[in-house]
Amino acid sequence: MGLKRQADAALHPVATRDYTRDLPGLIAQMSDVEVAVRRWAVRDLGSHPEAAAALGARLVVEADSSVRSALFSSLARLGGGDVVTAVLPLLRSEDPELRNGAIEVLSGLPDAVAPHIDALLCDGDSDVRIFTVNLLGDLHHIRVVAWLERVLMHDAAVNVVGAALEVLAEVGTDGSLPALRAVAQRFPDDAFIGFAVALAIERIGTP
Amino acid sequence: MKTGSLAVKPGPVVAPPAITDADFRKFAEFFYRKTGIHFDDSKRYFVDKRLVERIESTGAENFRAWFVALRFETDGAELQQLVNIMTVNETYFFREAYQFDCLVNNMLDEVAARKRPGSRIRIWSIPSSTGEEPYSIAIYLLERWAKIDQYDVEILSSDIDTSVLKAAQRGIYSQRSVGNLPPQYLKKYFTPNGDNEWRISRDLVDSVEFSRVNLSEPTDTRRFRDIDVIFCRNLLIYFDDLSRRVAAEAMFDAMSPGGFICLGHSESMSRMSSLYTVRRFPDAMVYQKPLEA
Amino acid sequence: MYRILVVDDAATVRMYHRKLLSDAGWHTEEALNGVEALECVHAQESDEAFDLYVVDVNMPRMDGYSFVRELRRLELRHQAPVVMVSTEAQRQDVDAALDAGANGYLVKPAQPLDLVLSAALLLGDREAARAATQGVRT
Repeated sequence: MGLKRQADAALHPVATRDYTRDLPGLIAQMSDVEVAVRRWAVRDLGSHPEAAAALGARLVVEADSSVRSALFSSLARLGGGDVVTAVLPLLRSEDPELRNGAIEVLSGLPDAVAPHIDALLCDGDSDVRIFTVNLLGDLHHIRVVAWLERVLMHDAAVNVVGAALEVLAEVGTDGSLPALRAVAQRFPDDAFIGFAVALAIERIGTP
Repeated sequence: MKTGSLAVKPGPVVAPPAITDADFRKFAEFFYRKTGIHFDDSKRYFVDKRLVERIESTGAENFRAWFVALRFETDGAELQQLVNIMTVNETYFFREAYQFDCLVNNMLDEVAARKRPGSRIRIWSIPSSTGEEPYSIAIYLLERWAKIDQYDVEILSSDIDTSVLKAAQRGIYSQRSVGNLPPQYLKKYFTPNGDNEWRISRDLVDSVEFSRVNLSEPTDTRRFRDIDVIFCRNLLIYFDDLSRRVAAEAMFDAMSPGGFICLGHSESMSRMSSLYTVRRFPDAMVYQKPLEA
Repeated sequence: MYRILVVDDAATVRMYHRKLLSDAGWHTEEALNGVEALECVHAQESDEAFDLYVVDVNMPRMDGYSFVRELRRLELRHQAPVVMVSTEAQRQDVDAALDAGANGYLVKPAQPLDLVLSAALLLGDREAARAATQGVRT
């Protein structure tokens, strides 16, 4: 007993499997009864761009957190418009794990998600608008500040505005100051909005 | 050298970019969000100096311009530089030893309780860097784990960089690297190598299985199974968000149910993954793969 | 001095809540999601614990309800009142709060008096509750 070294003991031989590891085989394995099998299939599908829709569809029915996590990672790795299409509907999910996973994936795909932002920011559901603003918080896109300023000028829901102020404290510019002053006028009695506006102005600082 | 009438007029003195209080707070909030590391006002000097360095290195006009570039860059390169410069990343024997204490005082006993005597326990140290961590683990096991003779313990250690793997297998260390070792261990496991260096015993080198692994590559990580304890310290903090979650998931896959993972003291799963459970032991806080997983 | 853990993924909200609570005379710490909040709780010294938790519902990694459920499984010394803070106030939200083991519920954005009074009553801090009512015009 004691410290042992066995050559290649760590290197688990890749066993032949019942399924093949081509696209149809992997997609089939996403429904396997074994969690580990589903996870590996999902991981391997992260290098098959044609799998985006199948991965997105699996998310809706997959109950295991570790497989869900792998699904989101594979979708994030694939990137592109198909992934955005597959993941966008999850912003409306009742399940916070699915919503937050969607936000994480989408925030890594700025060019693919940008065409959808205007519509999302006009959605009738204020929760969807809040999650979109959350998404902007991590999005590396040149229009982020403009989108946020528009929320400040026009959104009627105080919590959507609050979410936008949060992000603007980090990315706001001198050009954001008029929108900041305007939103303070729109919610004159709300202590939090007043606080958040003052903070954003302070963080933007003087040039 | 002649002076006097040929005196050269000095150019305009360029002041280093100023870091205002608002700048500092904006930076601190961003950095905390990304890494979990808190910089309060007491760290102003430390932080400001390094921010100035990054601003000047990147040729940005001022803090604002630099911060905008950082926030909106698409490749994460500047963030990585920033994390590098804001964290201390040296390696030496018995670094953050409280986690090794936790290993021999608590984690291994829990792992062993689920196994039959004589069976195998696997510990994975990644990154191995130049070997200080896996060898520290080996020494701790031999010297401080009461049950070492009852189980077969395998120490696996990996790195993406083959040159450090080679160095780890050569096993030669500076005075600085061994400085934290109790003298009796230094004497027992090392021999002097020239004036200022120490060579670790071949037995210890042979007790670690080294391999080259890229944590972002599924084909590399899938070879690792049934790992009971993982040490992944001060590595993931340098990864981007996606690579971090992929790595956290890969390690989850590699672990046995109930296995443990230790991150660096300023790292946290809260920025990476929700798959693990937080466990607090007297010596350290670690993460555990659920037993039912 | 009473110690309050403020949990919210938005830095501005954390700052706002912390300012209101510390102006009322309490010590505050913060976490930005349920995982970090659990770490904060576990990091408490053996003779210390939080006296109150103010917890946002919607956070990534681990949401507010999951945090409270995990909290309620920990040792007795960590058991303290929890105020949920949420953008919603539908029936299922309040049910979820009760099921998880919360003791109070505020709708965002929390107004100063609501937050401070809720906290003061759950802490049993009469002085702070009285101070909060000073200058309130009815």
